[in-house]
Amino acid sequence: MKDQTPFGMSLRRAIERRPGLKRWLLPLYEAVASVVIAPARFTPVAPVVRDSLDVKRYMMLVIVALLPHYGFGVYNVGYQALSAAGRSPDFFRALFIGLKAVTPIVAVVFMAGLGWEALFAALRRHPISEGVLVTCTLFPLTLPPTIPLWQAALGISFGVVIGKEIFGGTGRNFLNPALTGRAFLYFAYPAQITGDAVWKVLLPGSRAAVDAVSGATPLALAGGLERLQEVHAALSEGGYPLVKLFLGRYPGSIGGTATVLSIVGAAFLVLLGIANYRIILGCLFGLFGTALILNRIASPESMPYLSLNPLYHLAMGGAMFAFAYMATDPVSSCHMQGARWVFGFGIGALTVLIRVFNPAFPEGVGLAVLFMNVFAPLLDEAAIKMRLKRRVPNV
Amino acid sequence: MHVEAIRIKKGYRLSACGRPSLELQRLKAPERVAFVPKSIPFIKPRVAVKEGDPVKAGGLLFWDKYRPELKFRSPGGGSVEAVRWGPRHVLEAVVIRVDAEEEAETFESLSESAIDTLKREELVARIMDGGLWALIRELPFRNIPPGQDTPPRIIVSMATQEPFEPQPAVYLKDQMELFQFGLRVLQRLAPEVSVVLPSGCDAPDALRRMATHGVSGDYPCGDAGVFLYHTKTGPGQNRSWYLRGQDVLLLARFLKEGRYPLERTVVRAGPMAQKPCHIATRMGVPLKVLGGFGTGNGACRFVAGGLFTGYPESETGYLDFYETAVGVLSGDPTPERLALFKPGYDKPSYTRAFLSCLRAGPLPVDGRYHGEERACIGCGFCAEVCPVEILPQFTFKAVLAGEWEEALDHGLLDCVECGLCAHVCPSKIDLTETLKKARRDLYREQLRP
Repeated sequence: MKDQTPFGMSLRRAIERRPGLKRWLLPLYEAVASVVIAPARFTPVAPVVRDSLDVKRYMMLVIVALLPHYGFGVYNVGYQALSAAGRSPDFFRALFIGLKAVTPIVAVVFMAGLGWEALFAALRRHPISEGVLVTCTLFPLTLPPTIPLWQAALGISFGVVIGKEIFGGTGRNFLNPALTGRAFLYFAYPAQITGDAVWKVLLPGSRAAVDAVSGATPLALAGGLERLQEVHAALSEGGYPLVKLFLGRYPGSIGGTATVLSIVGAAFLVLLGIANYRIILGCLFGLFGTALILNRIASPESMPYLSLNPLYHLAMGGAMFAFAYMATDPVSSCHMQGARWVFGFGIGALTVLIRVFNPAFPEGVGLAVLFMNVFAPLLDEAAIKMRLKRRVPNV
Repeated sequence: MHVEAIRIKKGYRLSACGRPSLELQRLKAPERVAFVPKSIPFIKPRVAVKEGDPVKAGGLLFWDKYRPELKFRSPGGGSVEAVRWGPRHVLEAVVIRVDAEEEAETFESLSESAIDTLKREELVARIMDGGLWALIRELPFRNIPPGQDTPPRIIVSMATQEPFEPQPAVYLKDQMELFQFGLRVLQRLAPEVSVVLPSGCDAPDALRRMATHGVSGDYPCGDAGVFLYHTKTGPGQNRSWYLRGQDVLLLARFLKEGRYPLERTVVRAGPMAQKPCHIATRMGVPLKVLGGFGTGNGACRFVAGGLFTGYPESETGYLDFYETAVGVLSGDPTPERLALFKPGYDKPSYTRAFLSCLRAGPLPVDGRYHGEERACIGCGFCAEVCPVEILPQFTFKAVLAGEWEEALDHGLLDCVECGLCAHVCPSKIDLTETLKKARRDLYREQLRP
């Protein structure tokens, strides 16, 4: 190909000359090269003119929407560590500590995830798909900063291989791969990841450390209240007023707690036509509707969690993060527009139900998304049946 | 006449650079013309001429092996220069070198009063013998209909709202009488003739008064298949026939004047075309003559037909029997650097993923895929644009899995082959081609004579 740089040319030739290298490295080489130089591929059949959007850009825009979460996440990890140690939360110091904690996790996740994708691409002889990059970008944002690196690698491996590759790769998976990996860690290593204890990076030599880790996340706090306690007051006393929950400036997963950023990201993706607004609105309807119903049936004797204001449900934990970036994954969500409303509604409703009624799982949104992923084909089937009934037969 | 306006909600308006103006340019007579049977469906040509044979304009070139009564006639008088065969012995073109003094075949002409008295079989036989029966097509397979059948109705599609197509205002100028003559002939063939006129196209007032149905919407709202889908009330209407407004003129001219009609009004369009406009020319002209030479540096790519329905053709090609447009696109093979990171102020897109969504003006289009092929990611854009409410993302999977029953339930036969599903697909899947091929296979299996 004359369209490549001399370096690219010689590298390509070097790879192609050795059959072993060609098999294992060519997909990786092409994936990287096609980002830099998009070869001109002319259409041999009608329609001659094709849209400018391709899957690469589609996926890249999701990653762009996720970048602010990384910025916030890095700062927040450092900020929480400093405040736990009782030191003044200097911005640059916080950033530095955050980077030190987050960078290795991201690096390990990308290496493991891309490694599996490249391996399957070579084995299956298909090009490396961009979907894996979104998975690898999403996954660290759902992890606590204290996670052991080997667990992060194991989680992403499970997500990419079992969640996606064994079904044939991006486009053929029925579960969200990032959430599959997250759920795997959740069940396999509950000690590090269930979301009960506050996740903070510990600074060496900090005396306040013991107190800090024994604190509870807002979700665990709300779930563990005794009867007759007022849930909103308890959350405020525990250090979680509503505004703080919305901003996400509390210990939690690396970037997933920032509800405000998730709303901005969701708006960005919907505005661009990448995420489907029906799913996101459906999620919000489901969450608010279910929470309001629970408020109605709550009595003074019942669990205090029942009377939690729906806004708190939205602001706590990773609910909005999952609605914006995981529920809207086009592959594993419903494909019919009508079914997408139901799909979203189911996620929102299940999130609240799992949180409130299942004490074993403080955060329910990830499981809710996975659960509805499984139901998506069924919903689609029903929606298609209804749609086909309207057609005048033509055989 | 009363015009019923039908609003067609789905479709897509692509604002492309190089839209043809309404000016009509006359092209000087080409040295060679050719009959290109490429898009004439389901025929097996038996060629009647050899290279070097003299041939009259309207002289017999070939007939269909399966239906010998289907004849195809010469687009020019002179001598046969080449009979080009493609792979698998498919007839690609019969090229004719045109003499300065063209001889023309004469046929029996039909007077205005004789239309109603002539027997239907006689009328059909005349059109078939004149080589024009292939202008009429039968839905849903878009095949050439059997002459003895009576369709529930004939749909005349005046324009489809495709970005590059001749407008009725140009090709019907001073031809309304002839057009009316053509419609009267069609009324002999079917109990009902619907003249479908999109509200967005340029049409003479006389036509607006004559149109039986108005449609509004984006491309392809004026397509006969789209119109049928939105108006049919029962399965009996599926086998309607259709033809395009300009083809009514050809039929009328042949019957009225007793000669094989060579005139065509085509458009030259596209970002690389010199002066995009309408062109009064003849059947089977070389694309190079029609398209002119490109304006930019590097090669051009010619599209025979509209942007969405036409096919890429080399610059040595000729305009085929059906097509009435030639698009000139950039053929520059330079790869795009860092395309992924460009804001895309000049990249047209169905989505709003490029800055071009802030721009209303026409944008440059080209003949590239703009990406690599990927598995379907289920974005559903194809179903959002499909004018006949097929779910292409499911239907194409049913087709590829060999689930014919399911594909038919999904409305495979309603597909109008407009090309929009493949156009908007971010995974660059050739959806339209897959569905088209499935429909062709189905016809060959079930109905081929």
